Amino acid sequence: MLPLVPIVLASLLAGTVATFLAGRWARWVALATSAVFLAEVGGMFLSYSGWPGYNAQSVPGFAESVSYPWIRLPWMQVNFTVGVDGISLVLILLTAILQIATVVYSWKETKNPAAYFGLVSLTCLGSFGVFVALDVLLFFLFWEAVLVPMFFLIGVWRGPRRRYAALKFFVYTHVASIVMLVGLLATVFYSGATSLDFSAVAAAAPGLSPVVQTFLFLALFFGFAVKFPIVPFHTWLPDAHVEAPTGGSVLLAGLLLKLGGYGLIRWAVEVLPAGFLHDRPIVFAAAFVSIAWGSVVSLAQRDLKRMVAFSSINHMGIVLLAIGLDSSLGLLAAVLLMFAHGIVSALLFMSAGTVHHTFGTRDIPAIGGITPATPALATMIMAGALASLGLPALIGFPAEFTALLATWNGLGYLVLLPLGILVVTAAFYIWMMQRMLFGPPRGVPLGIHDVPWWEGVGMGLLVAVTVLFGILPGLLVNVITSSPVKGFPGT
Amino acid sequence: MSFAGTVGPLVPEVIVLAAALLVFLLDVAGARRRELVGAISIAALAGALLVVLADLGFLPLAALRGLPPSVLNAVPAAGSAPLYTFGSLGLVFQGLFLLAALLVATASLSRASDERGAPIYYGLLLLATLGMLLVALASDLIFLLLAIEVTSLATYVLVGYTRRDARALEAAMKFYIVGALSSTLSFFGASLLFGAYGTTNLYALRAVAGSVGYPVLALLGYGILLAGLAFKTTLVPFHAWAVDVYDGAPHEVSAFLAGGTKKIGVFALFLVFLGPVLYVKAGGGSPFSGAPFDLGPTVQLTLAVLAVVTMTVGNVLALLQAEMKRMLAYSSISQAGYMLIGIAIGTSPALAGATLQVAAHVLMKSGAFLVVAAAAAIGVGPKIVDWQGLGTRRPWLAVAFALMLLSLAGVPLTVGFVSKFVLFSAAVQARGFFVWLAVAGLLNSALSVFYYARVLKVIFFEPAPGPLPARAGDVVGAAGPTPLGAGGIGYGRAVAIGVAAVLIVAIGLYPQPILGPIQSAAAHFVAGGA
Repeated sequence: MLPLVPIVLASLLAGTVATFLAGRWARWVALATSAVFLAEVGGMFLSYSGWPGYNAQSVPGFAESVSYPWIRLPWMQVNFTVGVDGISLVLILLTAILQIATVVYSWKETKNPAAYFGLVSLTCLGSFGVFVALDVLLFFLFWEAVLVPMFFLIGVWRGPRRRYAALKFFVYTHVASIVMLVGLLATVFYSGATSLDFSAVAAAAPGLSPVVQTFLFLALFFGFAVKFPIVPFHTWLPDAHVEAPTGGSVLLAGLLLKLGGYGLIRWAVEVLPAGFLHDRPIVFAAAFVSIAWGSVVSLAQRDLKRMVAFSSINHMGIVLLAIGLDSSLGLLAAVLLMFAHGIVSALLFMSAGTVHHTFGTRDIPAIGGITPATPALATMIMAGALASLGLPALIGFPAEFTALLATWNGLGYLVLLPLGILVVTAAFYIWMMQRMLFGPPRGVPLGIHDVPWWEGVGMGLLVAVTVLFGILPGLLVNVITSSPVKGFPGT
Repeated sequence: MSFAGTVGPLVPEVIVLAAALLVFLLDVAGARRRELVGAISIAALAGALLVVLADLGFLPLAALRGLPPSVLNAVPAAGSAPLYTFGSLGLVFQGLFLLAALLVATASLSRASDERGAPIYYGLLLLATLGMLLVALASDLIFLLLAIEVTSLATYVLVGYTRRDARALEAAMKFYIVGALSSTLSFFGASLLFGAYGTTNLYALRAVAGSVGYPVLALLGYGILLAGLAFKTTLVPFHAWAVDVYDGAPHEVSAFLAGGTKKIGVFALFLVFLGPVLYVKAGGGSPFSGAPFDLGPTVQLTLAVLAVVTMTVGNVLALLQAEMKRMLAYSSISQAGYMLIGIAIGTSPALAGATLQVAAHVLMKSGAFLVVAAAAAIGVGPKIVDWQGLGTRRPWLAVAFALMLLSLAGVPLTVGFVSKFVLFSAAVQARGFFVWLAVAGLLNSALSVFYYARVLKVIFFEPAPGPLPARAGDVVGAAGPTPLGAGGIGYGRAVAIGVAAVLIVAIGLYPQPILGPIQSAAAHFVAGGA
């Protein structure tokens, strides 16, 4: 059988390198790279209607798994081990969709296009690596490989305070990464695992005493929480979003935040179950604070992009809550939410970008009644906002509904808290739409054009995905639930 | 013994010595073109490197092997006291020394072609390399110190060889005075050890470490010897000279000092202090397990403390620097602290980690100083803020420099990450007290990220201030009257920097081809060979 995951990795790597070198042809190379990636991932996705798929291999519970020796230490084997399960497959699909949408949306990028498209591809390469890595060191390697291109994407292209934002992003996430790595390696060393493979660590680590697990889980939780981001470690996020170019924001919200969620599910909850159970009060507290904080602060934002950034904190808080429930329904909800938020926040950030260069500002009160002048743009904003607040038939609904159901099952009447916040979330989106889209035109210059075709195609692709999986969430659910994570029938 | 039998194992040393003499003779004969002497030196260094690699078994070229397999890692018979032996760890270090010299020699081709004294420069470079090669073979304390002296004398002159530059002359003078003090201390320490043990053979010293009737004398000897070697290795508090010397020396020479000659101190520490450290391990496994003034524990604790202090002080002072070369110099000091962790622990995985760290440092620090040389050639000033806009003016140079800085910071995908991973995990593996060395090292790496990220921010994010000399030849003086190739950087520098950058990533991605031989060499080293 072909080593499919390494092949995808290699094609992505070759495409990324070629993009950097392609000069003025960079966007075409980037488009070809992302198209090939999407085709490969789509093929993988479609072949997994039933688990464990047609190519179950060495690592139990993971399809397409291959392992090559990488670094040999006298007491430990480090392998290049990769593989996918339902959770990672959904997130890989997200990566591929966002990559091609970002490339198309940024088609007319003029400031150093080779570097821009190269960094976009590199970010997606790193994210893909994180989702397939089944070895501690490999995981960390890809984890950091996302950090560096994102640092440059934030710091070089757009906003006036971009250098500050990039450095803040780097410092926050790098410190978190170090803590995470220390946590993971300490888990390995204390558990006596002789290999850094996920299966070896996940087999050995639950044997640790609950007290040790509690501390180790806290270290990992901190490492992942900064990426999530969880209040109070979130302050890098609004700054980074506001200063980043649109493509950077899309990948930041769509992919980087998912790395935190995925890492928590795969490397913390599964590896340290007892520690997770002990630390659940902290997890819940962090989740509730983030949900409430993100939503309420969104209400106060004037900058459209900043508002979407804070709404991300709210949504990722719900993801954390769903993970914290420690039930199969909660896990399903978390993955669905991550996918939905990835698509929808990308759509909203693209809309914000288009608003910015169409009207010259993102200040919500400064512009109003844009629908007659720019109907397509208004439609995109509305689709994104409605999907984000959970309108049925769009992808946000099945995800949030599952999350609330799981919360009711797990926590009973505490579900009223996220449910109540949902009202606030709906409020700030609807208020935004009321001010910006409807009413008498305000701050709309004469003779402006609607969405340019490339941006329209990029956003349209995401709208299509939103509708497709909103109507047919079963496509995702089947892949997730048939994967052999604890509690699912596939086990 | 036949001539071949005598010289056979010493082929690399003979090649380098012969090339040095040839270069000096050419100077007398009047053939002083930089390209000529440079080519001879590069050929000699490359030839020696190939032989060393063949001896280590890297190359399937039996014809190149100068060393009979029976000699490699052979433990000398009891009672014999050879001056030099051939351990595989020594050969690994020889390979690294030759690599550093090769990078510097290649880059030095791009120094201004009308600069006087090219044969002297290359001759001294080769002599210094010869001394380094001999250090790697030493199995006798006096031989070791004399070999260090060969290197030192050559480098004193190298630092000041431009003669007209006052800063370089001051650096040379300072280097010479401190070096003389360091040598004096080392020899005095060695003489005390001879008084205590009655031998200067490193095998014998290792065997009898700890079992001596005059513990205070031995302790004093080791302590003073450590001080002497600490100067060479730039351990805090014996580091102050290094910053001024690296700063004042010609950039290529700084690259050679920081990336190359400093490592002879590291290997000398391996050779001298493994004995006491192993004695502790046999006895108890913790620096606190012995009686007060017990040799082994005291030595081990001293080394561990020196390691932590060196890392921390180097990093903190690097944070405060405004000039690029001084920042690199302090970062070089902190890296010496990481290497010291290896010998303080003294297990073979830890020594392997430290050796890999040495290899990483050869690439990243030589490379970084060579980038400074290239940047100076295109008119970039000495201060960090002068590097603004390099990312857009010279993207490839900037990317190579970024790789070196990221590797120094220990960011994954680079050799610097792998070496720190191997080293720190070896410290954790040694358990107990040593876990704290790993923690200190990790905290220091996290700290070091800040000053490297600051440089990256200046290079890539901040626009160039005002009009700059855009192309080679616009800068008269720094780059010489004729424009250099490779966009004003010079082909020699471009090749050296490119090779270093590619190796940093290649080894970072797949370290096993290097790591495997280093691990087995370190195992041999701990097991018996000196």
